Amino acid sequence: MAQKKKRHKKGGLTQPRNIATLLSVLFPGLGQFYNRRILKGFIFLILSVSFLVTTWDYIDIGLWGIVTLGTVPQEHHSVQLLLQGLISLIVLIFGIAIYIFNIKDARGDAIAREQGKSKPTLLQGIADFYSRGFPYYMILPGLVMLVFIVVLPLLFMLALAFTDYNQYNSPPRNLLSWVGFDNFKSLVTIDIWKDTFFSVFTWTIVWTVIATSLQIVLGLFLALLVNDKRIKFKRSIRTVLILPWAIPAFVSILIFSALFNPTFGAINRDLLSHLNIMIPWLSDPFWAKTALIMIQTWLGFPFVFALFTGVLQSVPQDMYEAADVDGGTRWQKFQHITMPHLLFATAPLLIMQYAQNFNNFNIIYLFNEGNPAVRGQNAGGTDILISWVYKLTFETNNYNMAAAITIIMGLVISIFAFFQFRKTAAFKEEERY
Amino acid sequence: MKKWIWMFIIVLFLGGLLVACGPDEADQSEEQAGENTGEMPEKPDALKLWVNAEENQEQAVEEITDKYTEETGIDVELTPIDMLDQIESLDVEGPAGNGPDVIFQPHDRIGDLVIRGLVDPIDLDDVESEYTDTSLEAVTYEGEYWGYPAVIETYTMFYNKSLVDSEPESMEDIMNIAESDTNASNDEFGFLMEADNFYYVYPFFAGYGSYVFANEDGNYDISDIGLDNEGAVEGGELVQSWYEDGYIPQDLTPDIMNGLFQEGKVSTVLNGPWMVRDFAEALGDDLGAVPMPVLDNGEHPNSFVGVKSYMMSYYSENKEWAQDLMAFITNKENSMHYYDVAGEMPPRDDALEDPVIADDEIFSAFAEQTEYGEPMPSDPAVQQIWDPINDALDFISRGETVDEVLTETVQTIHDQIEASGANQ
Repeated sequence: MAQKKKRHKKGGLTQPRNIATLLSVLFPGLGQFYNRRILKGFIFLILSVSFLVTTWDYIDIGLWGIVTLGTVPQEHHSVQLLLQGLISLIVLIFGIAIYIFNIKDARGDAIAREQGKSKPTLLQGIADFYSRGFPYYMILPGLVMLVFIVVLPLLFMLALAFTDYNQYNSPPRNLLSWVGFDNFKSLVTIDIWKDTFFSVFTWTIVWTVIATSLQIVLGLFLALLVNDKRIKFKRSIRTVLILPWAIPAFVSILIFSALFNPTFGAINRDLLSHLNIMIPWLSDPFWAKTALIMIQTWLGFPFVFALFTGVLQSVPQDMYEAADVDGGTRWQKFQHITMPHLLFATAPLLIMQYAQNFNNFNIIYLFNEGNPAVRGQNAGGTDILISWVYKLTFETNNYNMAAAITIIMGLVISIFAFFQFRKTAAFKEEERY
Repeated sequence: MKKWIWMFIIVLFLGGLLVACGPDEADQSEEQAGENTGEMPEKPDALKLWVNAEENQEQAVEEITDKYTEETGIDVELTPIDMLDQIESLDVEGPAGNGPDVIFQPHDRIGDLVIRGLVDPIDLDDVESEYTDTSLEAVTYEGEYWGYPAVIETYTMFYNKSLVDSEPESMEDIMNIAESDTNASNDEFGFLMEADNFYYVYPFFAGYGSYVFANEDGNYDISDIGLDNEGAVEGGELVQSWYEDGYIPQDLTPDIMNGLFQEGKVSTVLNGPWMVRDFAEALGDDLGAVPMPVLDNGEHPNSFVGVKSYMMSYYSENKEWAQDLMAFITNKENSMHYYDVAGEMPPRDDALEDPVIADDEIFSAFAEQTEYGEPMPSDPAVQQIWDPINDALDFISRGETVDEVLTETVQTIHDQIEASGANQ
């Protein structure tokens, strides 16, 4: 070890491994030539030259564009430059990866040569390369797709939140510019945004928690009932209970919207009028929210019901028998046998239900478009974040604010996703049961 | 050592890239100088036109452009795209070079199109006098014309002849009808309209002196909003009284309203020409239409007029021929053909006087109403008024104090205009 260190110090730049590295840094392939790995050198050389020749102009404009977002109005389209810039960055990362791989490879080969290892034959080298890299080749197409279909639009949206892209400042006539965290700042400081944001955000949370919990509780309750041995006609009951799920939500929600119409809808007119009650389902925010929660419970419980029914079949009967022998009560059996089984198998899916309702655009927009209006804010009484973002984007063209809010929504959803993955890991602990 | 090398490499690489960045053509000088020489440039092989994706309209435009091809030899490629989606599509396709030469848009989006730089102004020259004054006013923005007016529409009073004895002429008549014919428990109404939609309510505001933006010769002053002045309050209170008197039920949706009218349960209803076909099918000869009733102060209510027009894409490379095509589509003969097939009224004096329209009992009422109407504001800021003012009507319908609500609403509109970046 001590000897090696000494040699290293003495060798300095003239040491083969450093020469190879430096040559590769200067231009990909040179290091390989120095190592007398001619074919490999050519491959790297050709690869880098073609990469540079084909993408140089594109990346050049792209990087310039993402920094400046254009300099001549009408001539430069900021949104396109931004997109080109993002694509350039991605392509550049791929390029840098190849470049780094080339340097590592040259250095590694040089080290092998220093240590007197024999140079592998061409065939051997290829076989080695192939067997080590096989999984990576398999995921490569998927990875590239993922980068451009999933990551790129996300980056684009993230970027918009830091620009001044609004109705009066939109390309091609105007150029965008970077404004840092201004949009987030105005979200919590400027009155018209602040009031609306907090009321919409809190309702979104309340909506998510209540609507989802209710649908889960109802699904659980019905699943337990139907699973009871004493129940007859199980199959028919199950079919009926699954029905709400079978009708497209789109249709159900529109029908509900008509049913809940306070003056003309069947609920007030034909049901509640007999009790002399008229509830302002659509014009009072509280009742509109109540109606939405009831509808979502109705729409959402069949899935949970189906899920729980399936899992309940798999709870081993001998556990209940053992509990009977020990004199366990009905509640104790439920608490210590049924519930753990159910939750263990379904927790990730249940968490996804929360995430889904958090962004449940359909029901809000189809039922009453986020109405009724609330004085002094620019979102309706039942608007959740996602429907508000829709209005900001398509009705008032506040693209930058919409992007900023979307980022906040994304953060909240990631919390759900984080817990979901934590729970999914539970599947690995198979010994637990 | 190793870390240091990597850092060095990456900095070197990125630095090298960034140093040479930027397009070479950054400062292109303005190429177009003297264009208006009056002579037509060479004919292009084809012109691209985006037509509203509606069956009858597509058919009508196709027949007209076929004639154009016959006369000039220029092929016209039609692409059906929903009118309201055309701006977004143009925004994407235009810079990419796949955009059309001509798009079809309602005039109230002109301001938005202009600030985005998606359309070019046009030259109406010698055909200017043929279009109606209202429609010319509609396509004017910042002192220039931005489109060839093709369709004009507004709303007016439909009535059911079997329920109404004589043509209602004043608000007093309408209120009498409402008083005698309304029986809400039986779903029978004397007078219905979407009173929570500012588009329809505007005439009752404007008739008393309210306005959206102050307008002087086509220049809007968006800091002067007239939706909380005395006239607005008077209009708002009028609307509120309809709810209080039980003439118009809360939670009335357009579907329910039109459905009831078609069932023959409603005497008079305020709606646009797009409903004529459905209404006529349901009511037959009982369907009548009159211009909007005169207000109590003797004013004709100024209904909002919408003018759909052909506009020229900023990205068009055949601007002269694109205009030639637009003028051709909107000339008298072709306008009448369009009216025949698509059922939309052309904003041309000669067409509106044509017996085909002038003798049509229903469409002549619309034609007359457009004379009292005023174009919807085309300033981009108009997009910020719709939500707040509709919300205000919602509050008014619930019985909240009108002037308070309107003052608050105008403040919200000012805030929203500010937030949309108008004063940057």
